[in-house]
Amino acid sequence: MGGLRETLKEAVRQLAFRTSLASLKKKGVQKVNVLGIDRIVALIEAAVQRSLKSRLLGADREAVAAATKAEFLRLLRTNEDLQRQKSEWEQQKEQAEEEIDQLRRDLAQQNRSLQQRLEQDALENRNRYDGENALIARKVADVMQAIAGNQGMSAKAAEEKVMELVMDVVSGEREDAEHARRALQDRDVENLQRRIKKLSETLQQTEQRLQHVAATKNIESGISSLYREVQGVSLGDVLAHKKSELMAEIFKANLELQKRTGKR
Amino acid sequence: MTETKQTGDSPKKDHGVLYIGMDLGTSRTSVSASNGVRETVHSLVGYPKDVVSRKLLQKDVLFGKEALQHRTSVKLYKPLEKGVLKYMSDGHNDAEAKINLKAAQELIGEAIRLAKPRKDELVYCVIGAPAEASMKNKGAIVEAARLAKVDSVMLVSEPFAVAYGLDWLDDVLVVDIGAGTTDLCRMHGTMPEDGDQVMFDTAGDAVDAELERRIKQSCPGADCTIYRVKEIKERHGYVGDPPERCIVDLPVNGKPTPFDLTEQIGQACSILVDPIVKGIHKLVASFDPDFQHKIKERVLLAGGGSMVKGLDSAIEKAMKERLGGGKVVRIEEPVYGGANGALKVAHDMPADFWEQLK
Repeated sequence: MGGLRETLKEAVRQLAFRTSLASLKKKGVQKVNVLGIDRIVALIEAAVQRSLKSRLLGADREAVAAATKAEFLRLLRTNEDLQRQKSEWEQQKEQAEEEIDQLRRDLAQQNRSLQQRLEQDALENRNRYDGENALIARKVADVMQAIAGNQGMSAKAAEEKVMELVMDVVSGEREDAEHARRALQDRDVENLQRRIKKLSETLQQTEQRLQHVAATKNIESGISSLYREVQGVSLGDVLAHKKSELMAEIFKANLELQKRTGKR
Repeated sequence: MTETKQTGDSPKKDHGVLYIGMDLGTSRTSVSASNGVRETVHSLVGYPKDVVSRKLLQKDVLFGKEALQHRTSVKLYKPLEKGVLKYMSDGHNDAEAKINLKAAQELIGEAIRLAKPRKDELVYCVIGAPAEASMKNKGAIVEAARLAKVDSVMLVSEPFAVAYGLDWLDDVLVVDIGAGTTDLCRMHGTMPEDGDQVMFDTAGDAVDAELERRIKQSCPGADCTIYRVKEIKERHGYVGDPPERCIVDLPVNGKPTPFDLTEQIGQACSILVDPIVKGIHKLVASFDPDFQHKIKERVLLAGGGSMVKGLDSAIEKAMKERLGGGKVVRIEEPVYGGANGALKVAHDMPADFWEQLK
């Protein structure tokens, strides 16, 4: 009975809530009646005993009390297991959520870095283009001045001069375009893109894991048995009588085992 | 409809009844259930050695082949030895013994989980325990099953379960060759008593040890773990005339090298024959003389060891020399024979008995 008393105490403690004297005063309570936990447990025990006495006259009260105690302890254990399982699930869920948050933050950071890099590149390009435009303008002006200064220049010679200028500009642009293509493959950009890809994949995997964790609570429902009820030896079995006797002997041996090992 | 009283958040067990038959063996643990599930798991339990391995494996406990595959990262436990829970066999109760008990309990829990029980069904389980397991040992098995949410559990002797599964209840001699022990049990229509049973430890593990010794002796430089030896035996094991040459690759200095192990395997497996025939002789000779001829003609070979090729013929041959004849029948499903029998016992047990053992 000692174990039951301790369990009852623990249960009463768990059911009780804490409050301060100040908060009680706020509620207008001036005096409180104090009932010790041992007294409460004793009252519960006495109530159970009285109830058993009144309802189970003639029955084996000790056996019923022992069975009730066993059932109560079993339920308490089951409850503890469930609580523990629940807390494990919650921990896993929280952990997965934290990981997802962190991954999201990392992803946003990488995206920001990429954006900054692209903007910086755009600015550099713009400055470069301005310089190049001025150079082209100067070259055009030089050619036009040479044509204007030389009155005897034939149309063909002028055309060749302009063509030379155009080809010079075009080849320069072609080189720049090539550089621009290479710039796209710039190592930093590539690294950033690779990191983003990796992070995205990890995020996806973690989200799947979270979904799995959330779903697992419900999916492990098991496989249904063929039987709705306890079967027993089939009456149509030619060995039914012998089997029934064997079942009775197995039962007796197991009952004895449980008694001797203190499971009952 | 069967119903149990439940309160609070516990699921109401009013959906049906799941019977589970379990063969708790030294090498393998098999379950057969009334939902059609049949599973077997090597009786090995592994716990991650440290935080790093736990992080890598993402599990607190591993079972069977998975534990074996990760044996460098886990502390491996084989909680059963010679057919019984190891933790009490040496009489000690130190930390190692406690871990062995925990491993045994988790193994039983895993076997129950493998049967995929529904939360809303009653789970009634019969476990085939070694015939000579101690009372304390049996108590620990029952406790482990209860921790695994089994509503009611019973134990039966393994050889009895095998015979019951086949409806061979009269004048049968069951030879159950496990990894840790070989159990012989005489069935004569009632529950077998002590005098009806013989047990010895010349079984699968003894064959493995003998084969390992012979390989070390005859294949210098060959590296071979006991797990590899077991694999070789399970694949090529034979007694009598070899069905084929047994060429096996073993690493020598890191290089796989073929070895012909035909003779070694045959010689190692043949250590089973003599003690079995002696046991049969003892049980036949002490049986009612009017029925001795009947029991000799109904020797049932079961357990993983019965898969050794030619063992039935070798026993018959030896029986002819010592007992003037006999007939040995090999069970069709050695791995599930015990579990199937235990499942049948569970099915045939009346509801009242199950209720009383809850």
